[in-house]
Amino acid sequence: MPAPRPDFAAAFAPLERRLLRRRLAAIEPRLRLEIVALGVLAMGYLFWQTRLALASLAFPNRPWAAAAGCAAGLAACALAGAALAGTRHAERLANGFPAPPWLALPVPAGRIHRHLAQDSCAVSRFALLPGLAVLAAGARIVPAGALAALAAGFVVVLDLAGRLGCAIAFGLALLRAPAHPGADPATRVLAVAARPARARRFAPPRWRAERPLAAFLRKDLLLARRPGPARLRLLAPLALGLLWLLPSVVPILPEVALALTYALTLVAAAGMAGWIVALVSADPFPVLRGLPVGVLVVWGARVLWAALGAVALGAGQALAGALAGGRAPHAYFSWTALVSLGIGVLGANYAVTLYPRAQHARRMLGLTLGMATGASLMIPFLGWSLLLAALLHSARRLPRWAWQEPS
Amino acid sequence: MTLRIDGLSRRYGALAALEEVSLEVRAGEIVGLLGPNGAGKSTLLRTAAGLQPPDAGAVLVDGVDLWREPVAAKLGLGYAPEEPSFYEELSAEEYLAFLAAVRGLDPAAAAARTRELSSRLGLADRSDEPVRGYSHGMRKKLSFLAAVLHRPRVLLLDEALEGFDAPAALYARETLRAQAAEGAAVLFSSHVTEAIERLCDRVIVLDRGRVVRTLARAEWGGAAPGLSTLERAFLALIGSPGAEVPA
Repeated sequence: MPAPRPDFAAAFAPLERRLLRRRLAAIEPRLRLEIVALGVLAMGYLFWQTRLALASLAFPNRPWAAAAGCAAGLAACALAGAALAGTRHAERLANGFPAPPWLALPVPAGRIHRHLAQDSCAVSRFALLPGLAVLAAGARIVPAGALAALAAGFVVVLDLAGRLGCAIAFGLALLRAPAHPGADPATRVLAVAARPARARRFAPPRWRAERPLAAFLRKDLLLARRPGPARLRLLAPLALGLLWLLPSVVPILPEVALALTYALTLVAAAGMAGWIVALVSADPFPVLRGLPVGVLVVWGARVLWAALGAVALGAGQALAGALAGGRAPHAYFSWTALVSLGIGVLGANYAVTLYPRAQHARRMLGLTLGMATGASLMIPFLGWSLLLAALLHSARRLPRWAWQEPS
Repeated sequence: MTLRIDGLSRRYGALAALEEVSLEVRAGEIVGLLGPNGAGKSTLLRTAAGLQPPDAGAVLVDGVDLWREPVAAKLGLGYAPEEPSFYEELSAEEYLAFLAAVRGLDPAAAAARTRELSSRLGLADRSDEPVRGYSHGMRKKLSFLAAVLHRPRVLLLDEALEGFDAPAALYARETLRAQAAEGAAVLFSSHVTEAIERLCDRVIVLDRGRVVRTLARAEWGGAAPGLSTLERAFLALIGSPGAEVPA
């Protein structure tokens, strides 16, 4: 009896379709809306900037120069797509794919790699969005025929660019893969990807006698430095912290600069509160519950982080005030530090009282801060009253911490 | 007595997971908790460890009510859950150093005990790596190590030795016996009857959330504590020091 000849294309095609469908379905509806809103904003900005540039290129009577500008913009988008796909593929070839043990399957390694590369290539399609913005910006500036040709060409080039990115990543992975007599290149590369990543080793810790509060602070600091959710959540407030001086040093009206700095500081404080929620939710429930610590330690350590962040943000605002020619830096400092502390403590309150439901804590925090911002924009100081009420209300629930359950 | 559970009840909606469970584990005793899946063993241990409040009843650790004075009671409590969880970003050493500090242990003594335990359990080679990369067996070993690190007066172990290799299981059993000899009360839950036979002095049988019976070692007439013939042969083959332990 002849050996069966499996149809790999028929096997992989439904798998790829299902994977795509499931991944899209896994994105929460709220997150989908947020992604769409951010995408629309970014596309709008790009459209506006590109249209200005194309219009100036086309003026007074050079539509083909605008077409060349449009083509350059699309080429940049395709390049970004190639970089996205290539980076993703290189990372997955180095650290492994979250997938079955491919090399144990009776499928040629080359076919497996083609499937994995196609999966990595999917991210290059994100470059379609800026490409669409560039094409829309060229409408009525670039001749219609040229614009249609550019659009068709862009779709083809983007697909090729994604494949090129993956091919480069594969080539680089092959250079690093150890040689095996008889093993084809795809097998060598996939064997490296399937190998468990060698873990990084850390320096031995210092065993110290310290109070539980200090032990929690030290542990929080370690978590904030290691790759993981706590470090990820710290990036936004740190980045905003770096940006807050920008309005003070660019040539704009001092009042506008101060208002911008203040807004950035408040967003940074909200980011800090989100980081505190991430720190609290990093505590494994069975470990924390087994420890001889009360709510005061768990909450107090996070309030100390909030206080530290508030001082830093207040100092930044005072500096910005001084640069903008403000006369009372201590007033800037006190107000900003107080407000930041309030936001940080609110984050700690929600994180501790809703522990271990980090998602709930994040939603409550976002909702409260959003409502407070809206209220402040409508009636001055109403938002602060709302924030204070939320602080007091959440603090009343702190004593119930020991009785919380995981679900 | 060191651990006393009085009339503990716990419901999950309509399901009564525990119904007025009462038991005692005296100092120096290793008591097995045996029962079919869904009998309420893990619920009992989770409630006794302070992970979830009971609907009724009390847990007393050395006479201290766990739910009235949780901090004082937990100072003398060690718990290894069935599904261990950790700070995945930390190394085993960093994690244990944190636990030692929170429990107020002497740093040098805690570090030395960690070194000894992790070496005997086969964790020492990778104790400086992040826990995220640990296998199931290594995670169970780390959870056990964290539970016994501070020589607790009461130990609650939920399928704690599951996933251990033979030398590590042998050493863990020795450690538990040593802890009991020092006066600790150990409540050891497992679905593997052989593990309970070889370790426990007494067995409490739990079914549908109720204590069905308590059996003393003389009543079940099972294998004596120590090594089975296969364990002895295996340990001798791999040259483990455990092979010299008397049966």
